[in-house]
Amino acid sequence: MLDTLLPILFFSALALAAIGAVRRVRLWRQGRHSPVSLIRGLIAMPRRYLVDLHHVVARDKAMSNTHVATAGGFVLAALLAIVVHGLGLDSAILAWALLAATTCMFVGSLFVAKRRRNPPPRLSKGPWMRLPKSLIAFSLGVFLVTLPTAGILPEDLGSWVLALALAGVVAWGLGELFFGMTWGGPMKHAFAGALHLAFHRRPERFSDKHGGEGRSTGLKALRLEDPATKLGVEKPADFAWNQLLGFDACVQCGRCEAACPAFAAGQPLNPKKLIQDMVVGMVGGSDAHYAGSPYPGKPVGEHAGEPHGPIVTRPSTKGGTALVDAETLWSCTTCRACVEECPMMIEHVDAIVDMRRFLTLEHGNTPNKGAEVLDNLIATDNPGGFDPGSRTHWAADLNLPLMADKREAEVLLWLGDGVFDMRNQRTLRALVKVLRAAQVDFAVLGNEERDSGDVARRLGDEATFQSLAKRNIATLGQYRFARIVTCDPHSFHVLKNEYGELGGNYEVYHHSTYLNRLLEEGKLSLKAWKGGTVTYHDPCYLGRYNGEYEAPRDVLRALGIEVEEMARSGYRSRCCGGGGGAPITDIPGKQRIPDMRMNDVRETGAELVAVGCPQCTAMLEGVVEPRAEIKDIAELVADALIEDDSAESTSRDEAAGKARRAEEEVTL
Amino acid sequence: MSDIVRRDPRKEWIARNRLHPEHSEVLAELCGGASPSEWIGPSGLTRRNPHAVGFTGPNGIKRIDRSGAQQAATQPGGRQAQPKDTRRRVEIETPHFLVAVVPDLPGGRLSSHDRDVLGLARQLADADPERPGAVLAIVFGAHKETTFDEAGVDRLLPMEDAESSGYLSELRIAALQSVERELAPRYWLLPDSSLGGGELGRRLAARLGERPATQVWQVEADVDSDTGWRCTARGAAGTKDITRDLPRVALALAECAEPVSETRHATQAVRLNQALPDVLGRIEDLGEVAVDPASVSLAEAEFILSAGNGVKDWEGYHHAAQVLGATEGASRVAVDDGYMPRDRQVGATGTWVSARVYVAVGISGAIQHLQGIQSCDKVVAINLNEGCDMVKRADLAVIGDAGEILAALVAHIEHYREQQQENRDAA
Amino acid sequence: MPHNATSSSHAGLQVAVLVSIGRHPLTARARRADQDARAVEMALSLDDAAIRLVHAGGNDDDNEEALRGYLGMGIDEINVIKQASNADIVPALVTSLRDAAPQLVFTGSRAEVGEGSGLVPYLLAEALGWPVINGLAQVESIEHGVATVLQALPRGKRRRLRVRLPAIATVDSNAPPARQSAFGPARRGELAARACSSMPDELQAQWHMQTARKRPKRLKIVKSASARDRFKAAAAKAEGGSGQVLSDVSPEQGAEAIFKLLKEEDVLR
Repeated sequence: MLDTLLPILFFSALALAAIGAVRRVRLWRQGRHSPVSLIRGLIAMPRRYLVDLHHVVARDKAMSNTHVATAGGFVLAALLAIVVHGLGLDSAILAWALLAATTCMFVGSLFVAKRRRNPPPRLSKGPWMRLPKSLIAFSLGVFLVTLPTAGILPEDLGSWVLALALAGVVAWGLGELFFGMTWGGPMKHAFAGALHLAFHRRPERFSDKHGGEGRSTGLKALRLEDPATKLGVEKPADFAWNQLLGFDACVQCGRCEAACPAFAAGQPLNPKKLIQDMVVGMVGGSDAHYAGSPYPGKPVGEHAGEPHGPIVTRPSTKGGTALVDAETLWSCTTCRACVEECPMMIEHVDAIVDMRRFLTLEHGNTPNKGAEVLDNLIATDNPGGFDPGSRTHWAADLNLPLMADKREAEVLLWLGDGVFDMRNQRTLRALVKVLRAAQVDFAVLGNEERDSGDVARRLGDEATFQSLAKRNIATLGQYRFARIVTCDPHSFHVLKNEYGELGGNYEVYHHSTYLNRLLEEGKLSLKAWKGGTVTYHDPCYLGRYNGEYEAPRDVLRALGIEVEEMARSGYRSRCCGGGGGAPITDIPGKQRIPDMRMNDVRETGAELVAVGCPQCTAMLEGVVEPRAEIKDIAELVADALIEDDSAESTSRDEAAGKARRAEEEVTL
Repeated sequence: MSDIVRRDPRKEWIARNRLHPEHSEVLAELCGGASPSEWIGPSGLTRRNPHAVGFTGPNGIKRIDRSGAQQAATQPGGRQAQPKDTRRRVEIETPHFLVAVVPDLPGGRLSSHDRDVLGLARQLADADPERPGAVLAIVFGAHKETTFDEAGVDRLLPMEDAESSGYLSELRIAALQSVERELAPRYWLLPDSSLGGGELGRRLAARLGERPATQVWQVEADVDSDTGWRCTARGAAGTKDITRDLPRVALALAECAEPVSETRHATQAVRLNQALPDVLGRIEDLGEVAVDPASVSLAEAEFILSAGNGVKDWEGYHHAAQVLGATEGASRVAVDDGYMPRDRQVGATGTWVSARVYVAVGISGAIQHLQGIQSCDKVVAINLNEGCDMVKRADLAVIGDAGEILAALVAHIEHYREQQQENRDAA
Repeated sequence: MPHNATSSSHAGLQVAVLVSIGRHPLTARARRADQDARAVEMALSLDDAAIRLVHAGGNDDDNEEALRGYLGMGIDEINVIKQASNADIVPALVTSLRDAAPQLVFTGSRAEVGEGSGLVPYLLAEALGWPVINGLAQVESIEHGVATVLQALPRGKRRRLRVRLPAIATVDSNAPPARQSAFGPARRGELAARACSSMPDELQAQWHMQTARKRPKRLKIVKSASARDRFKAAAAKAEGGSGQVLSDVSPEQGAEAIFKLLKEEDVLR
């Protein structure tokens, strides 16, 4: 009887799955057009899955092995079962293989079940709690029905009751794993995830066969040419179709939630919930079925949306909520911790900025100081509204060489908006001192420099970003320089990764990388470190955005500092709270992000935090004392500098002499 | 005390002549005090009375300070009162023209802005000593000012109709129109202030069909000009200077001219012959609305009492702000800790303020905070820690417990207000 | 707070807002004028009002960007009355307002470019015979052709006025700040230009305009007849450097010193 029942079961499940797949694909196709190469994507998919995805999953060894066993077992078992039971191919070898596959899957399922017995809070509950049972049902059921085929048990063992029971168990497993995969069950992640990997909106973020690391962190430019097009994302259907596909791939593992600084600070953001809300919006309905942690302070069940309904309501239409509240979107610091952690390679930050773009460019609803900052950027080219003619006032005594005079220099020193901030001016002074000591041929743009556009872009004001960027690119185009060095990771990221799309391609260095290079070339001699213990805080825009974790540590090592690492460092570094315009939009939470980061510092017992970012400096120094001292890497290097007289006397060229003289004036 | 020695030979002769009947009076006058300590004797020799020299020190011992400084200080009364009396009294009987001024009189008294405009009016009136003009001040409603004469007012036209109190600019314009008809002043000068003059002046100019000069800050004589005067006025939101002939109606900024100080004027009351016409007012004044000073936006506030981490007694702080009539501000920490709302945060990451007086209570002065108060005129710090940056920035720093000092300040101000009230009642 | 203007009885209220080109005080870039933008905000805060923006002036590209700043506040159209750059815009505005016959006209107190005398609303009121209110802070209600409004007085005080419509009201920096200007609506909105004969402003042609000089700071005049005191006052080091620090004083003494400073600065009411 099973011989007749099983093919029916298998093929009806496959048919239903196929119908579900078509439905699901149509849901994704509601999104905007997005050019991807389908064939090449499908070809690249296995590698992306096996290498890039597992690179992320393998950060949790136990879970990685569990997944390999379960998923690998399932894929093999499903294929073999279709052949063996669906098509009725009576091959003992295949049957044995199927038995092995189901066994493997069963063992994996047991581990899944064990994990679900006492799940950490970041995991979603609800339907996910029944998944291990379904996995066990499928593996066990298929195992048992395969036993006769393998010849272990006689063909007609047991009664029809047993056969029916077995068929029922298999049907349960098939329902969850085939039907549920395309109709929105937990297994959806496998179907959507596989296609998401194939048709990812950022194919360049995956590694290639030649060992290239693959990194794609720059935001994609918005096309502003046509006045009629809507700017940014208003409705779920305004996302690109492969973004919608990406949202659907979420496995609700909550790694993003665990990494999110805003969530930890009690701000109303949870990346996982946000992605799930986008899925809710894509399908249409309410978030009442969501079974994970909510946005802090916002109960589940009050928000609903539809593919062609607004994601955020206008504040002027009183009352009522849509899919997501605006402050959820404005809580994000764009630190990319969620993206870094996501095993499904979902791009949360892209989605958030897309929605912010609509709020800023179409609604004009950038909260708190946002509107003022953007107005300042438009009118004065800097977020503080300072006189753009006073950009170099801080360096009146430094005699900085101007690009306008020199026309050519090896290094263009990009100062950033920190020139208006008294604290950052100390860092800049230190950096200038070090560059002069290393006899680097550098020049600054002076008053010709503008804000890089980072803040405007993260606040969703793509128009202002592009205006600033294009003018900066035109200015930079007038001069000849080999590379740009900056001590602001935000400018660094924007210049390096985001100006390219607008026609500005430069070799850009963060000052820590450049200082490290100078040290390696032996151009700087440093005194040994005499201070206390030091820890290092990775700036998001240097680390996660640009993968530079080692150069700052190398510089510190060269200073003789043994870095006392924080629990969360490197790619897991916790944001200072200063990115993405978060201090400007200033969404209240239960605690402040920099305070949490300072607690991380405290746990190491370090007396000093080395940083490499003006935002981080400002945010961490904003923590109430007593706290560790905060110093930029440039300051540490400048403090340890040995003025090398002999080298000077042997290789004194005019430029260096001039620089030295200027420096003496400073120290006088 | 004037250092110029002015000699009166006759008086010196009397002082030398002990037999002269006025001898002792003259002697006393010459020495400026009751007991002369030094005079020129009859033989031409300097005579001294050592008993009259010096002063009694704190220990009851007589001290003589030979630098002369102390001697000057012992006789302040008569000498310092002198310049007041020597101010020239000016009366202009038959003025050749009138310069009309409508002072703001905030609180019923001339403001310094009013005095500056009156000074400017004097400048215009007195330009030609042969053909002097008179300054006419038009005053609406009841006032408490008693020093119109010192401010340079020759003619005072009070408009004390009961109706003219409050905001009735339509009536006022009608009244000024009557003045124009009857007295035809050559110039109309008003303070270009937000207290009323700016508005009234523009209304008047529009009514009279004159193109006024607004935001005038300098007036100079100029022979090339039709009116004989050239004025410089601010334009384009204060970014341009417009130099032009002085028109009949001018709205002047504060410090447009020096206030009158050397002369006193008649302040002769004048009245209009005709009664004021009835005007159908289309604007009705329903009176002032109470506004909480705490709700004034920080960027506009001119007096801020800002609280930081060092404030422990928040009720006391709020009470002090209320008594002082100051706008409340806060440091970032106070906001983060939830004691103050976010829109009260002062600093580079909050609001940049430009208050005239900024009182920082228990704020140590993070660099972001100090940047935010860069454009404040006077900074007062109340802090426990003498070494903190805010104390270094402050014009006045008081080291001590914030709560106690604020309480003392509140008590002091309340006392002062009571006294003032008494004075006012007495007057 | 701006939403409590009652909507029931002034449905279809016609509001005109006169807008001008602003100049940023630091960079002199063209922008929406701050006070005019507040006037637009004030109009937008009225429920059920039909808002018409009017701009009279020259119309070059730079200005267009600035005018679009108003469109970005959620306005569909600005009526641009084209005028020669040296024109007196008052006659053109009078004609326009007389034709459109709005019940309320909002405008900023003074322009950020040109003469910036702040006379336009008064001249318009005089020509149209309408009442004018300055320093509008809030419209409380509009009923039966009478508006109850709050007028801003110095130091954050408010005065309640009732004015019969039609009327002109000026808005200064005490009014609620203007909403953000959004890029999308700004470039989609329409500038409906209309040519109009322009009257040259002849008087202004005789004036001499230049960048504002810094005004000399008034010296503290010492009212003393003694040359020694006057000299001391004139030669005294300008206040600055480090301030006075009072440590080890009683709270009363400290309060006394602070009180003295507050009185000197005249900030006590």
